[in-house]
Amino acid sequence: MNKLLARITALVLAATAGAAFAQQDPAALAQGVCSACHGPDGHSISPVFPNLAGQQPAYITLQLFAFRDHRRGDPNAQAYMWGMASQLSDDTIKALATYYAAQKPAPGQPGASALMAAGEKIYTQGVPAQGVPACATCHGAQGLGDKAFPRLAGQHVDYLVAQLEGFKSGTRSNAPIMLAVARTLTPEQMRAVATYASSR
Amino acid sequence: MKMQSKCGSFFALLAVACSALLLAPDNAQAVPSFARQTGMACEACHTVFPELTPFGRRFKLNGYVIDNLQQVSGMNTSKEQTLALNQLPPLSMMFQTSYTQTQTAVPDSAVSGAQAKNGQVLFPQQASLFYAGRIAPNLGAFVQFTYNGASGSFGWDNTDIRYAKMVNDHFLWGMSFNNNPTVQDLWNTTPAWQTPFDQRSSTAPSRGATTMIDGGLAGAGVAGLSAYASWDNAFYAELGAYRSAPAAAVIDSTSKNVVNANAPYWRLAYERQWDRQSWEVGAYGIDANLYPGGGVALTGPTNRYRDWAADSQYEYIGDEHLFTATATYIRENQTLDASYATGASSNLRNNLKTLRLGASYFFRRTYGAALGYFSTAGSADALLYAPALFSGYGNSRPDTKGWTAELDWVPYENTKLALQYTNYSRFNGAANNYDGSGRNASDNNTLYLLGWINF
Repeated sequence: MNKLLARITALVLAATAGAAFAQQDPAALAQGVCSACHGPDGHSISPVFPNLAGQQPAYITLQLFAFRDHRRGDPNAQAYMWGMASQLSDDTIKALATYYAAQKPAPGQPGASALMAAGEKIYTQGVPAQGVPACATCHGAQGLGDKAFPRLAGQHVDYLVAQLEGFKSGTRSNAPIMLAVARTLTPEQMRAVATYASSR
Repeated sequence: MKMQSKCGSFFALLAVACSALLLAPDNAQAVPSFARQTGMACEACHTVFPELTPFGRRFKLNGYVIDNLQQVSGMNTSKEQTLALNQLPPLSMMFQTSYTQTQTAVPDSAVSGAQAKNGQVLFPQQASLFYAGRIAPNLGAFVQFTYNGASGSFGWDNTDIRYAKMVNDHFLWGMSFNNNPTVQDLWNTTPAWQTPFDQRSSTAPSRGATTMIDGGLAGAGVAGLSAYASWDNAFYAELGAYRSAPAAAVIDSTSKNVVNANAPYWRLAYERQWDRQSWEVGAYGIDANLYPGGGVALTGPTNRYRDWAADSQYEYIGDEHLFTATATYIRENQTLDASYATGASSNLRNNLKTLRLGASYFFRRTYGAALGYFSTAGSADALLYAPALFSGYGNSRPDTKGWTAELDWVPYENTKLALQYTNYSRFNGAANNYDGSGRNASDNNTLYLLGWINF
C-alpha cells in the first residue's frame, strides 16, 4: 500500500509538472480564474460581482487598467480586483475584454412596476430639478452602452446601486461624469433607476 | 456569582489584547499568506475568518493556486510551464492569547484534594507559522506549524497539499494529501473547521468521548490521500483513505489507536448559490479498524469504528448583515473486538451520536454574536466509561450536552476578539456528580476570552 501511495503521489507530481501554461489565453483565464466570481461566460450569481457578458470592451479595458493602477478604489475593487489585475499585461487585458464582450449578455428582468415607472422617468428624462441628466444620453435607450460608457442592461440591480453609491460617496472616483450625475441622487432614486436600467 | 469576582482579570487581559491590536498593520489582510499571494483582502475568501465564502471554497477547491505575485517561471520546449514559484514565499503568522475560567477550579494535577488556579492566561495559547499558497502551476499547500501554549510544544498542525485541474467550465478534479480527516473539506460544518466556535479553550475541561471523524483519528496522528471532483460548483464528491502517521517515527505497541491498513473516507455534498445566499447539504464518513495499542502489541483483533455524518450550511453574505447557520449530525457504530477481548470494554458493540447546531450573525463583518447547541450521547459501558476524578464517568455513560454563546469584535479583517461562554447541562454522562467524585457538569461551565491576530 505504501508503494501504491508513492506511485499515486509520483503521478500527481508528474501531471502537475506537465500542466499547460494557459495564463495568457483569455478563455482559459476567464474560465479558470475570473469565473470564480463572475461566473462561467461572465454571468455572475452574487450581485456583489458584475455580469461581464456582452459588456463594452472599451469599458472593461478601462476598468482593468484602473484596477491595476489603483485608480478605481471602491471597497470591492480594492478587496478583489486590485490583486487580480495586478499582473495582467496590456495585451491580456484587451484579450479579456474582447472575450467577455463576445459572450451572450444576461437578459434583463423587470422589477416592481412602481420602481420601473419611476426609474424609466429618471433614465429617459433625468431629474432636471436636481441637475441629473438622462442616463439614456450616454448609456443608450436600451442600456447597451457605447465604448467607455458601460452596458447596464441585464446588470445586477444591487451592483448598479452600489456603483451609484460609490460615485456619490466618492469611493469610486474613476468616472468624472458619474461623480457629477450621482451627486444629488437619493437612495430611492438610485434603486428605481437601477431597476429600470437592469431590466432592459 | 463567582465569575464576577474575576472581572479584574478580564480587564487585564483586555488591556493585553488591546495593546496587541495596536501592533496590527493598518491595511489588514486576513489569512495573510493567501492575501499576500492573491492580492485580495480577507473578505474575498472569508465572511469572518476562518469561515469561508463561496469564493473561498472555490479558491480551496482550485488548489490554492490563484496567484498575483511576481513569478520565477520555467517552461519546456512544448511551451508547458514547468515552474511557477512566487518570488517571495507566502508566509504568515498567527498568534492567539486567551483567558479561561471555569465555574469551579479543576483539581490539582499532583496534590490530592487541592485545586488548580482558576483563571488561566495563555500567552500564547497558540502561535503558528503558515506556508499557504501555490507551489507549482496546479499544486498548492496549506501547511501550519504550531506552538501550543498549553502543552508547551512545537508540532505539525493542519496540513493540506493539493493538486487541482480544471477540465472545462463545469468539471474540476483534484487530490488532497492531508493529516486530518475533513481538514480538506470546503464547508464549515465538518469537524476540522466547524464554525461558529471553531476556537475553544485548550485548558478548559472537554468531553471525554468523541467519534473518530470528530477529532479522534486526527489526535492519533494520520495521513490521508483523497481524490475529489466538482461539477458546476454544485456537486462535490471525494473518496480517500487514511493511514497512521503519528509524530513518532516508529508505529508500535506504544502508539494508540493505530489504523490497520487504510481507513476509507468519503464525502458527498451539494451546494446551491443564489443571489447573496448559499445552501449546502451533504454527508461524509470514515470506516476505521484500529489497534488500541497503548502497551498492547499491534496484532490480533481490532476495534472497528464506522462513522457517517450528515451536514448542512446556510450562508447569507450582505454588505451590512451576514448570517450563517450550520448543522452536523455524526453517528458512530463501534465493534470493539480488541477492547472487549482485553476487558477494556464491557460491550462488544457501542455507539456514539453527536449533534451540533450553530448560528452566527455579523454586522459589517465587525460585530458578531453566535449561539450553538452541542450533544454527544451513546450506549452505556461500565469499563469503557469508568469513574475517575474530574475526567471520568460516574454512571458509565459518555453523554455531554450543553450550549455555547459568543460575542465577537473584529476591528480589522485579520484581528478577532471573542468572549465565549459554554454551559454544560450534562458532562461525561451526568448533570450531578458526573465523575463519581462529586463534581457536577455545571462546575465545568467555561468563560473564555480569546484574542486572535493573523499577519
